[in-house]
Amino acid sequence: MQRLLDVLASGIHDTKNQLFIAEALLVAKEAEHRIDLGKARYAIESAANRLSRTLSTYRLFRHGASLAVVPVIVGDLCAEVALTQGKHLATLGVTLTLDCQVVDEWPLDRDLVADMLNNAVQNAGRFARRAIHLSARIDNDNLCLRVDDDGPGFTPLPPKAGAGLLLAERLAELHVRQERRGSLHLGNDSALGGARFELRLP
Amino acid sequence: MANYSRKRFLVIDDQPLAREALRTIAQTVGAFAVEFASNYQDAIYRIRNNVPDIVLCDYVLGDGRSGQQLLEELRRFNLLPDETIFMMVTGEQSYEQVVSAVELVPDDYIIKPFSPDKLLLRLDRILEKKNFFADYYRKKRQQEYAQALAILQAKRDSEAGRPYRFEILRQQAEVQLASGAAESAEATYRNILENYNFPWARAGVARSLHKQNRLSEAREEIDRVVAATPNYFDAADVKANICMSQGDHGEAQKVLDEIAKKTPRNYLRKRLLAEAATLNGDTGTASAALADVVANDSMPGAVTPMDRLALVRSHLAGNDKLSAEKVLLGLRDSEVQNFDLNEQASYVALLAILLPGKGKPRLAGLRPALLLTELSSTARLDLMQAALTIADRELADCQCENLMLGNEAKKLFGAVRNQYALYGREVDFREIQRQVALKRIHHDDAPAAG
Repeated sequence: MQRLLDVLASGIHDTKNQLFIAEALLVAKEAEHRIDLGKARYAIESAANRLSRTLSTYRLFRHGASLAVVPVIVGDLCAEVALTQGKHLATLGVTLTLDCQVVDEWPLDRDLVADMLNNAVQNAGRFARRAIHLSARIDNDNLCLRVDDDGPGFTPLPPKAGAGLLLAERLAELHVRQERRGSLHLGNDSALGGARFELRLP
Repeated sequence: MANYSRKRFLVIDDQPLAREALRTIAQTVGAFAVEFASNYQDAIYRIRNNVPDIVLCDYVLGDGRSGQQLLEELRRFNLLPDETIFMMVTGEQSYEQVVSAVELVPDDYIIKPFSPDKLLLRLDRILEKKNFFADYYRKKRQQEYAQALAILQAKRDSEAGRPYRFEILRQQAEVQLASGAAESAEATYRNILENYNFPWARAGVARSLHKQNRLSEAREEIDRVVAATPNYFDAADVKANICMSQGDHGEAQKVLDEIAKKTPRNYLRKRLLAEAATLNGDTGTASAALADVVANDSMPGAVTPMDRLALVRSHLAGNDKLSAEKVLLGLRDSEVQNFDLNEQASYVALLAILLPGKGKPRLAGLRPALLLTELSSTARLDLMQAALTIADRELADCQCENLMLGNEAKKLFGAVRNQYALYGREVDFREIQRQVALKRIHHDDAPAAG
């Protein structure tokens, strides 16, 4: 199995390298012709993220999967998600607002959590009318990362679990700290009136 | 946002298209001067001659080399000031697994593909952090440890330090270890562990315990780390060192053998493997590892006369005197003249063993000093062997007693006993042991000062 994983990982790695070259070529054209090719670049990055997520799903559902936990500045994490998704949402007429109440570092798997949040914001973007709110705060010794939207909410609730949600749930569970585990909560009690995606990490 | 137009960028990537891509992105964030390096050696050469402000380095460098190895090599030779930004660029998500375990981390890493905006955001954050630690970096570089620790403590107590508290603690522990305050370092690492079970922090506890000579506790901690994070190669080095101090040379060699296969170009690890193999009596492995070091550790100045002396020792232990002689005589006079006392002692001792006609008179000249001076255990072991060879009992027994009284007694016990056995002096060795034990008891009974 490890061998298969290595082959898959190496193929995805090569693909992402190619996608990076494609994005850089677009960046060069943007500078040369003073145009904005943000939509094309966003599509490239989304494709790469999708590939990574597929590999992560495979990796995290194997027996004995482990995370790469490092201290992360939560505000930076949220700012990056906003940077990645903000412009694209704006083209859909949706505003992404940010509220990070956490000053201290938090131990978490930065890349996977960022990917989860990107995915959650992207999903919210498909249903939101005008607004999405990304927030971080500490609640009962847990880091609580929330994506609220003003769409119609999840129907049904709980929603049918796609790859993204399955992965988010597994990712939350794999975050263990002093015998406490992370968890995923989905609901329709968003402050904006729509769906709420909440990742709680110990 | 910082101004990047005055910063000097170095892009390291073996693929021409990827290099161009990185340059385009760097120019978009405002870089004016972007240099290229196409491989590992080229990168080291450029950084050594003119340190860039920002390094963007691909993780895969071709020829079996990785960006992580490059980073470790640059730190090993002190070529990368704390002020320089080293950013790893990778298409592999698995690099995060590397970063979460290793001791030497880049300032950050970024996964391809990424936009210029994202790179800019990351670079801004790193600069903020480097500015925050700037005064500390200066004191650390000057080895003003007390002041460095005071600065870190002030940062730890400050509001501005909250986002960096793990980094502050980690730096504190490192400075404490470097300045010999092993107990404080242990407390600092445990403080980190109370918050989160980071493998590097537990390895830090093991290193601190090792420094305090609390060997079985150190071993217990490092065994936990190695079991939980098998890809944390530095932990294997720590474990091997602890095993050697315990006299468990077989386990030390086993751990290093396994890891060295996965990191064939890590020559510090090869040296450690040679040391463990020598102590373990596996002279073939030791000679092969050292020959590899001497032939391939390519950084100028990386292969030291001590490495050549180590190779002489392992050839000698393998009873290949001709090869040993060849390596020993290959040392240049200018090198020998610059030896410190420990190296001189080893050199003269090995010469006396291999070429008594040349070595014995030189050993006789140094002998009075060698009986009185504090020497490293390696030098003492060489001298003891030479003295046994030429039947200089007083010199041999003096070195033997010192070795058995020292901190590395457990580590070297087997080697010392074997040498005495080789010359039919087991009984004398047991007598020295008895005397040492009595001295230790006497020492323990003495009332503590103050």
